[in-house]
Amino acid sequence: MNSEDPDGDLVRRVGEGDVHAAEALVARKLPRMTALAQRLLNDRTEAEDVVQEVFLRVWKSASAWRPGAAKFDTWMHRVAFNLCTDRLRRRREVALPETWDAPDPQPLADAAISAEQQSDAVGRALADLAPRQREAIVLTYYQELPNREAAALMGIGVDALESLLARGRRALKARLEGTDD
Amino acid sequence: MTDMDLNRFEDLVAAYGATPNRWPEDERDAAEAFARSDPRARALLADADSIDALLFAHKVAEPSRTLRTMVIEGAPTKRRLTGRARLWWTTLGLALAGASGMLAGSAATAALEPVSANVQLYSQDVPALDYSTEENAQ
Repeated sequence: MNSEDPDGDLVRRVGEGDVHAAEALVARKLPRMTALAQRLLNDRTEAEDVVQEVFLRVWKSASAWRPGAAKFDTWMHRVAFNLCTDRLRRRREVALPETWDAPDPQPLADAAISAEQQSDAVGRALADLAPRQREAIVLTYYQELPNREAAALMGIGVDALESLLARGRRALKARLEGTDD
Repeated sequence: MTDMDLNRFEDLVAAYGATPNRWPEDERDAAEAFARSDPRARALLADADSIDALLFAHKVAEPSRTLRTMVIEGAPTKRRLTGRARLWWTTLGLALAGASGMLAGSAATAALEPVSANVQLYSQDVPALDYSTEENAQ
């Protein structure tokens, strides 16, 4: 198997029906895929649906997996990312009521808050970002993909990725510090 | 190592934050050298670091045990693969049996055809009985 792909050997064993390898792959990738889907979708149940679908595809493809240009982790990211963006697209097709307002995140500077509250506030601010900014930040910061991989996944160039990242970070800071009005 | 100036460093930090590990690999050394040598870099890094801290305050709950179990239940196992292979061979066997049945049928038809032809020929050789004549003879 591909010696440069850290998941290559595990995937080969999964394809041979090795249950221990499947468990190891799940232990390695399930938290990562769940975090990706949850941050992109901001919905736990939908994220779990996506993750199950991703792994169904992994189980189907494992025996046929051959080392190629993409690493297995990148392929999994692409599957999960596409499933999430499909769901987000369907959500956008459902018109929001005219009176709908995005919830205001609690400005972090206003009060001493718990780590949990802080996490919730950042989660809401992330959810309020423009979708492409959120995708760029999630892939680069939380999933820790190299810039070229993140850009390729989003179908853009590295320059465009950097622009989305910079705007997303500024917007996030403004919302969390209550300076975006 | 690529060239690095204040503008590029500013863009780099605005996009990737204050942690060098996240900076593009081909610019990392130059950016780190710039950060050490230019005092203006310090303010940029401090600002970026505060945004990094906000970003990493966000935590996602670990996947539930139920999800983990459901995912693992779908994994291929040797038994399932063997079952799948058996099913494949059974399907192939049935297909071959069907095909050989058809072949046998064709062969039988082919074998019978000359007989039919013979019969036809034979029947042509035998003059049609003229019952009326026989009856008349009796």
